[in-house]
This record gives sequence, C-alpha cells and structure tokens, in this order.
Amino acid sequence: MDINLSSEDLAFRDEVRSFFEENKIKSGEDYFSWRLGWFEKAREKGGWDVPKWPEKFGGPGWTPTQHYIWEQETAKANIPFDLPFGLGMLAPILMNYGNEEQQNRFLPDIRDRKVNWCQGYSEPGAGSDLANLKTKAVLSDDGTYYTVNGSKIWTTLAHVADWIFCLTRTDDSGIKQQGITFLLFPMKQEGIEVKPIITLGGSHTVNTVHFTDVKVPVENRIGEEGKGWTYAKGLLEHERTGLAGLSKSLVELEQLKDNARSIQRGNGNLMDNSSYKSKVGELEIDLLATEFTELRSLASAAAGGEPGPESSILKLKGTEIKQRIQKLTVEASGIYSSAWGDKGVGPSFAKGGTAGYLNSRYFTIYGGASEVQKDIVAKKVLGLTKSSSK
Amino acid sequence: MNFELSEEQKMIQQSVERFVQENYDLSNRIKISSEDPGFSKEYWSSMAELGWLGLAFSEEDGGFGGNQIDTLVLMEQFGKGLVLEPFLANIVLGGGSIKRGGSQEIKDSIIPKLIDGSLQITLAYAEEQSRFDIEDVATSARKEGDGFIINGKKSMVLNAESADKIVVVARTNGSQVDEEGISLFLIDADAEGIDRENFPTVDGLRASEISFKDVQVTSECLIGEKDKGFSILQAVVNDAILALAAEAVGAMEVLYKDTVEYTQQREQFDHPLSDFQVLQHRMVDMFMEYEQCKSLLFRATMETVQDPSLSQRTIHALKHLIGKSGIFVGESAVQLHGGMGVTEELRIGHFFKRLLVIDSQFGNADFHLDKFTSL
Repeated sequence: MDINLSSEDLAFRDEVRSFFEENKIKSGEDYFSWRLGWFEKAREKGGWDVPKWPEKFGGPGWTPTQHYIWEQETAKANIPFDLPFGLGMLAPILMNYGNEEQQNRFLPDIRDRKVNWCQGYSEPGAGSDLANLKTKAVLSDDGTYYTVNGSKIWTTLAHVADWIFCLTRTDDSGIKQQGITFLLFPMKQEGIEVKPIITLGGSHTVNTVHFTDVKVPVENRIGEEGKGWTYAKGLLEHERTGLAGLSKSLVELEQLKDNARSIQRGNGNLMDNSSYKSKVGELEIDLLATEFTELRSLASAAAGGEPGPESSILKLKGTEIKQRIQKLTVEASGIYSSAWGDKGVGPSFAKGGTAGYLNSRYFTIYGGASEVQKDIVAKKVLGLTKSSSK
Repeated sequence: MNFELSEEQKMIQQSVERFVQENYDLSNRIKISSEDPGFSKEYWSSMAELGWLGLAFSEEDGGFGGNQIDTLVLMEQFGKGLVLEPFLANIVLGGGSIKRGGSQEIKDSIIPKLIDGSLQITLAYAEEQSRFDIEDVATSARKEGDGFIINGKKSMVLNAESADKIVVVARTNGSQVDEEGISLFLIDADAEGIDRENFPTVDGLRASEISFKDVQVTSECLIGEKDKGFSILQAVVNDAILALAAEAVGAMEVLYKDTVEYTQQREQFDHPLSDFQVLQHRMVDMFMEYEQCKSLLFRATMETVQDPSLSQRTIHALKHLIGKSGIFVGESAVQLHGGMGVTEELRIGHFFKRLLVIDSQFGNADFHLDKFTSL
C-alpha cells in the first residue's frame, strides 16, 4: 500500500492537465463545434474520448489510479458535457452481448457523439422492482420483426434522444426475470409519444414514453430473446458506480465552503457558525471515506473484472453526499432560499439552489432506490436471506 | 391542564377544514397561485365574512378577542390545504404589529379594514445582511422636522405585491445590531421613493425586495415608541413562528397520511410497499415527528397565552423542531413515493416545498438551536 502517486502517474496527471488547458473553449468559439473538436483531439491522445472503454474497443487501457486522476481532473476542468446513456450504459452491453454487426453499426456513432440514446427501463408499475416490466414485444409470424406496445417512465432526455435501448417483455410464463428482451430502436418514428414530466425543481429532463405498435427489426435485438435481464443487470452495476459522482462532489464541497465564507456573520462568516461548520465537516469526512471506498472498488474491479455488489455502497453513500451538499447550499442561502425563478435575489449561489436541492431528492430513488440498494447489500454481501421471499 | 378546544374553536376548526376540502384541491391551488394576485380575493372575502380574520384582534379593536390558540386552529387547517391567502402577512405580521403598538388613530383606521378584508398589509423586516437576526437593521429612519426620512432595502417581504400599507422596521438610533434604536413605521405602499421588485417563492406564494429612497413619513406613522420597536417586533415574530408551526403541523399530517395511503396501494416485488418493514419504520418515524411537533406547538402556544415573557425558549425549541422534522417528513414522503414524489403532479411535493420555505422563515433549525442553547 502506498498513497503516493508514482512518477508515471504524476506525469500522467500533468499531461491530462495540460490537455485540458490547451483545449479550453476560446471566447467567442461555438460551443458545439468546440465540443466535437475536443473529443476528436481526445481520441488522438489514444482513447481519451472513451476513457472507460476497454482497449479492444479503442479505450486507453488505464490503470485504476489513472482513472481516478482523470475523474478528479475532469471534475475540476471545464470540459464538454457528455451523456452517459450511449457511452457508459449501452456501449458495455453492446461490447459484451452484441454481435459484431451490431458493434460496428452502433459503437462508432456513440463514440463520435453523433447519436443520443435514452434508456427505456422503468415503467409505471416497475420502479425499484424493475423486472416487473410489462411493455410487450411480440415477434411477427415470419420472425423478422417485433411489435412493441407499452409505456416507459422517468426516461431521461427522451425528448431529445435519437434512439432508445429498451427492456421489453416477450414471455410472461416464467419468473419475471425471464422473458425480457433487449431491443434497440429509433425514437423519431410513428407510434412513439413522449410526454414531459416536470420535476419539483421545475425542470423538464424526464418523460413518459408510450409505444403503440412500434415495429423493431430482429437485427436490433441484443443477444437472445428472453435473456435481456441478464444483459441489463451487469449494466445496472456499472450505472450505480457512475451515479456516485464523488469527484464532482469534492469540487462542489469546496464551492460550498467558499459560498458559506461569503456570508458575513458578525466578525466572521457562516463557516464560523458551529452548527453549520459541523455539518460541512461531517459531510467532508464521509466524502473522504467514500472516495477511498470507490478507489478500492475500482482496484478490485481492475483485478477481477466487473464491479460487484459493493457498487451499491457507493451509490448509497455517493447520492446521499450529493443531497447533503444541496441541502447545505439551501441553508447557506438563508432567507433567500425561498425565492423561486430566474430573477435571483440574495447571494448569487442562492439562485437555483433550492431547485437543485428539490431535484436532488431523485438521487436516492433512481437507479434503484436506497432501500433496494440496502437489500442488495444485505443479500449479496452479507448473505442475509428473508424467511419469506420478498 | 386541558388540551380540549372550546366549542367555538371546534366549530371554527370544522368550518376551516370544510373550506379547505372544498376549495383547495391541488389543481385549483396551482391555478390560483399562477394567476395574479397569487391568491383568491373571493376566498379572502369569505374568510372575512366567516369572521376568521377578526379572531386574533381584541374586542376593543373590533375583533373577537381571541388569542394564539385561535390562530393555531386556523393555521393548522390552512396547512392541510396549503392555503395561499395572505393570513400571515395581514393578520399576524401587519395586524400583529399594529394591535401591539399602533396609536388609537392607526388602530381605528387599519384594524377594521383588516378584519373585513378590504385592506392588504405586510411587515418588512429582513435585510440582505441580516439573515435571521431580526435586530440587524441597517435601513435608517432619520429624524427631519416633524417626521422621518427612510432609506434602505428590505428583503423577502411577503405579500408586498398586493399590500396597500407596509409596516417597515427601521433604525432610528444605535448601531446596526442593537435591539435599542429600532422603530416601526406604517407607510403607504405606493409612497414616493418606494420601489418593489416582485417574484414568486418556492411554495407558490409571492415575495418582494423593496427599496426605500428618501421616503418621507410623519411622526404619526410610528408604531410604538421611537427606538423601542424591538419588543413589538420580537412578539410579532414569535406569533408568526407559532402560526407557521401550526401550518407546518397541518402539512406534516397530510404528508404522513398520504404516504401511508400510497404505500398501501403501490405494489412492487409482488407486495404492497407497506409490507416492507424498512418502509413501515420510516413511516412510524414520520408519524412520531408529526406528533412531537404538535406537542411542542401546543406547549409553546399555551405558554405564550399564559405569559409571553416565559415562552421564548420554548418558541426557539419549536421552530428548531418544526424545521428539522418538517424537512425530514417532507424528504421521507418524497422518498417513499419514489419517482412520483419528485414531480409536480402529486400534492406531496408541494407540501414538502412549503415546509422547506417555513424552515427558511423567521430563523431556520440551526439558528433556533443556537438561540435555545444560549438562553
């Protein structure tokens, strides 16, 4: 065990930093062309545009420490936005379970950020109990296409997505984890209706999506019919690790402290207030520990392959930390935390702070609610079983 | 000791409960909130006609001679519907200042119009630098001739958009954080030199930032003695805390009951959610927090009615617990409703927002814990 970065790692960190510095957006530059150019240059560095992809598919093949450095640096730097759906969620499934034709067809566009994907998993009756999904896909008599009917809910950015990867039910005769089929299809077609859901923070990012007789060619099925749950399950563990967002929280924690210091109280500031300071301190201690839980998990994943059920710990802790940062921002805003809308009164960080806090309540619900994550840890890690099956 | 409401109070409780049930479903509330002036003038008139606006004023002032217990009865029921009508700003804050410190002339000209609902009023006390310290007043009222010249800015003033009159807390003496040297003035809301910037609040109500530039007032506009306004302000803020706490208790009741009902209907893993022990315990915690808040609300209100000079510490305790428990109950209701809880579509989110705002008004949970432990 050695906490010091090796000279190679330090050199890597400097290389990452100078890459970010050299490729910063210039004033007046068009954001979207800068963004695509940025990924192009990252690709020329040897897979920096797809850091988490395996080398076989063009990824950089970094060590866990290099990934950690990358996460830390990206959280601090101003780099272009990226969406996780194609790149981080679908791509690993295509790599593991898709055929070569599918890999060649979909991966390049994902890598080039040309196609926006959305995830069609949750349904009105299938939230934490995801396997309970009912969206039906019926294979045509000639076996060439599926007809999809049903509804998905909480579909993030469905209103701007080009394609969806979707869990559908092709057989309901067995246990509910069986008979689920993984399909890919375009969003912009007849029979697909997207309706916005406005969240408590007043924003539109999630939707309900309704399918009426949507035709999907069998070539768009990943793997075998009825095995979709197995494919998706591995992905869910990837998703949970990604949801922790610890590097970003570290940056946000520093911002939180700066914000609190900007609130004058007597001869000092809000960070001198003992109650507030304690809460920030407790938050930081949790963050320090969770950061190393993530590193340990990454290291064991690097040694043994897939992230395991430990990823649930990260999701639990990481999302709770993010919520606490939002809550403390609201508290720092004081009387101004109740102002709503774009106008912005009081300190500049108060604007949108409460909306952020309200929306952050979602963090402990999506990707498997905290209660379900704890069930997973109890069952898979501690080996605890329930006498009655629930 | 007796926790029973009087027959009259029970009747009022039932009539407010019915009013809320009949008029305050979620879609109607959203509609009223989004249209000007942000509350229903028709409902406001009904409240006046039903006598609710006069409950907390003395009989000499034309009211019904009630006290904080009557306000508790009203506010708890208002909390169950997230009533938008500006009872707090008009009756507790503005009216509360005037009934305590107003000259006979001011009382005669204002209180009857508050009771019949024809006049809108508010209290402007908070400032940008003051956070939750009500004695931190930088807005100045400089003596000039027979009157005063007011300069400064007030923040997060409730109901200012609709107000005809504003009670302004200003400094007539002392340094910025002295309790001594604070004075209250009653000013026309459209007086020259007043500028209002209006905006919505998180809970669907309205507030304003108000600037005062060389606003002239006469000595007759003083509420209470010059330099001695702090004790009035403190008493009004205490009443506001009791009122908001009652509203919060009403809101918490809706949240825990809605959650219990929802988890009995929603099935996941082939069981109603209410079968899962971890969720049951969370709901038990919500229920206990609600009951504890109600107990402390009764305690603080009854102590205040008995002797306001002895209730200060309990009021700090109450506002701490309301803030902390209100947010716990709100967050728990959202968590147990899952994704639906984080949308605008169910009413629980709106109740949660109101509880969040209540914590930020008149001092949050941390602030009152500090005050409580230092008394």
